[in-house]
Amino acid sequence: MNVIILSAILGVIMMYTGVMSKNKSTARYVATAGILALIGANWLEFAGVNFFNIDTRGMLEFTSFGLVFNLIILVCTLVYFLLSGKDLEEVGANAADYFALIFFILTGIAIVSAFKTMLMLFIGIEIISIPLYILAGSDKKNLRSNEAALKYFLMGSFSTGLMLMGIALLYGATGTFYTDGMYLGLGNITVMKMAGLVLLMISLGFKVSAVPFHFWTPDVYDGSPTVFTSFMATIVKAAFFIAFLLLFENAFGRMHSEWQFAMALITAATLIIGNITAVFQQSVKRMLAYSSIAQAGFMLLAIFALNNIGKQGLILYTAAYSLPTIGIFAVLMRMKDYTYEGFNGFAKHQPLLAALLAVFLFSLAGIPLTGGFFAKYYMLVAAMKNGAMFWLVIIGVCCAAISVYYYFRIIQAMYFREGADPGIQVSEGFKTVLVLTAVLVIILGVHPDWLLHLLDN
Amino acid sequence: MNITEILFWFLTALAILSALMVVFSRNPVHSVLWLILVFFAISGHYIMLNAQFLAIVNLIVYAGAIMVLFLFVIMLMNMNSDSEPQKNKWLKMAGTVAGGSLLLILVAALKNSEVQYQKVEGAQGTIGLIHNLGKTLFTDYVVPFEISSVLFLSAMVGAVVIGKKD
Repeated sequence: MNVIILSAILGVIMMYTGVMSKNKSTARYVATAGILALIGANWLEFAGVNFFNIDTRGMLEFTSFGLVFNLIILVCTLVYFLLSGKDLEEVGANAADYFALIFFILTGIAIVSAFKTMLMLFIGIEIISIPLYILAGSDKKNLRSNEAALKYFLMGSFSTGLMLMGIALLYGATGTFYTDGMYLGLGNITVMKMAGLVLLMISLGFKVSAVPFHFWTPDVYDGSPTVFTSFMATIVKAAFFIAFLLLFENAFGRMHSEWQFAMALITAATLIIGNITAVFQQSVKRMLAYSSIAQAGFMLLAIFALNNIGKQGLILYTAAYSLPTIGIFAVLMRMKDYTYEGFNGFAKHQPLLAALLAVFLFSLAGIPLTGGFFAKYYMLVAAMKNGAMFWLVIIGVCCAAISVYYYFRIIQAMYFREGADPGIQVSEGFKTVLVLTAVLVIILGVHPDWLLHLLDN
Repeated sequence: MNITEILFWFLTALAILSALMVVFSRNPVHSVLWLILVFFAISGHYIMLNAQFLAIVNLIVYAGAIMVLFLFVIMLMNMNSDSEPQKNKWLKMAGTVAGGSLLLILVAALKNSEVQYQKVEGAQGTIGLIHNLGKTLFTDYVVPFEISSVLFLSAMVGAVVIGKKD
């Protein structure tokens, strides 16, 4: 509850900051301080200190899983603010309002990581989505940004409609909004419950851009201002995954065998199409959009398997995917040329940044000693433990191998090609934060237990 | 058949027919006018469930405010059947198949539906009255009610951000 209330308040504070202060950077400093306060509040809640004692009537339940997830999300947001806060100010004249919207999104994320009723799920997902439509279209003069916002808005509202329809059918069949109280799978499974489940699966598939509901993703991610693509592709995507996992675990966990095959098909399609399409991209930004679909395929394995290892894996995946992607986007934002050729000879002119980018790309590709390796490992083990469909694990391994190709193309361009100086200017602070992020990624890859131990609390 | 049943079937038929007309009308303005009729029919259903407050709110918000917005947008965009973009034949076909499949499943779902009848309150129900609605909203559902204010606040901030001149 701490985070939900505090981040909503911080959103309001950010709005006032925009009015009170003419200095553009004030908003960034206030936002960074705010996110630190949120991390503290989340940690205190983890330690059992609640600022607010509110009777939610069982609508929200703050488990250690949700709180650890929130912690990762907040740390990622902190890194995002530190690395990309300056670029965020340059998108338009409303920097403070963008920060406010991001804090509102964090409220939504805290809700979907703790929901116990469909009502809270719906409100949480909407609080995440609506500010995103605005952020996607924040570059108002740019036609592609407008297109991205409109496309995202239409697709997003359509999938929300499907979700409402699914919730309505489930409510009609069970007479309750509480995910635990539905007792799906205990009685006989009727068409109405199944239809509700399928509609929810489709709508959440839209939100996490699982194939075949992924068509909006590349255009939206490519068209939006790169700072916000970075936010959408990492933090928000992970948040939708936690909603997906909690819903399917709490509400549909007992009828796992009914929907497992459908989920396996979606996962396989997401892995294959995401990875293979990413191979053919020429723009690094677009490649990262497809890579986010491909990585979503791995995260879907947790929902497919629905066991403890999968849940741990999702926590690890959130950190091991979000941190490197935020880092890569932070460097990409400063490049003029978004194609692979733009990275030619990068290592000669920016040796430190090139090395850090290489670490991030290693993590995304799942090379050992980086966080991405253990994240992928946990996902595959979860799917294997589940034991139902072994072919999915094989597809996962093959797709991880394919992904190495397009991630390493950047490394190849940076180290083994000659090219002109990209002429990017980075401050010492930026470099320090980027180094710390890379260190975090490597720690996750060497000793993931320190994160997972928190879950046992 | 007593008067309630006659009224129920009349409103149901009216709602479905006007909903179909919304889709089939060539002229967008006609679609919107049919949509208003749908809302009226549904409000009629609410009244039959003894939920007067919902019925009135439905009329004010949907038939009133949102429909006016719709009409404004359509008029501003100056849409008519001539300027309607020609859709791909295959796209139309795919849409028909997909929509038809969904219809089939939903009809199958509702045919054998196990709707919890005891949850449905008829004309004797009192939950739709403003007194009880307010009570429920501020006791059982106070948390989602308050949190939805964050949703509206963010939508408002967004509208201002999009609308403001740079």
